[in-house]
Amino acid sequence: MWSPLAWAVAAGSLALAGWAAWRALRDRPVILRQLLVGAGVEALLLVHVVVALVLSATGSPPADAPTFWGYLVTTLFVLPVAAAWAFAERTRWSSVVLLVAAVTVAFLQLRLVQVWSGS
Amino acid sequence: MTAPTPGSSTGSGPGRVLVALYGVLAVAASFRSAVQVLRDFEDAPLAYSLSAVAAVVYVVATVALARGGSLRRLAWVAVGLELVGVVVVGSLSLASPGLFPDETVWSGFGSGYGYVPLVLPVLGLLWLRRTRPRTAVDAR
Repeated sequence: MWSPLAWAVAAGSLALAGWAAWRALRDRPVILRQLLVGAGVEALLLVHVVVALVLSATGSPPADAPTFWGYLVTTLFVLPVAAAWAFAERTRWSSVVLLVAAVTVAFLQLRLVQVWSGS
Repeated sequence: MTAPTPGSSTGSGPGRVLVALYGVLAVAASFRSAVQVLRDFEDAPLAYSLSAVAAVVYVVATVALARGGSLRRLAWVAVGLELVGVVVVGSLSLASPGLFPDETVWSGFGSGYGYVPLVLPVLGLLWLRRTRPRTAVDAR
């Protein structure tokens, strides 16, 4: 796997997590601009899917393919589902939901890198 | 400073965060148990069956907490089961590791998941108590 891509996703989602934490501390809900950053992270994840598919097709598949694809597909859904769940609530708690989701995505990137290399 | 409205839905306010955490754990547990049951079931039938049970309980708890209302009783049961599960399995996994050759979500009191499986049911029970409809008169 091209792991810089995973780290870029992790960095983006951690930045989003920091932003959400900051807004939660100041008692503010999630705003549209945060969702745009989330969409950017999602776009990187989609690139990641394409890269992983190409690598798999060209003879260097992940060490543990079912787990890898399970994680990658799961990762794709975390932010959109959390964003919908968070946006229904216009209080600081929506920011905490986004924080949880963004940290989850960052953690999943670490697992993706591990599962790809089989460590 | 206003207190959160008691007797309200279990899925709003701080409850929304609780549901999000439950959702993450439900997906993680379901996914792990699916891999374990489908691929390596013979290796550790007890541990993997427990993983599957735990996954189902987390999914039920997530849905029941998110919906609240008439599912409140179900939420109590599911969250209570989780607390019992994590304490019993956590103790057993430390006392006789041979019973659980592979990790479950509840092994070592949920240490593989940052002890979230231990903390979450406690928070869940507290939250269910706090949002109890009967306490609407006096939340404190």
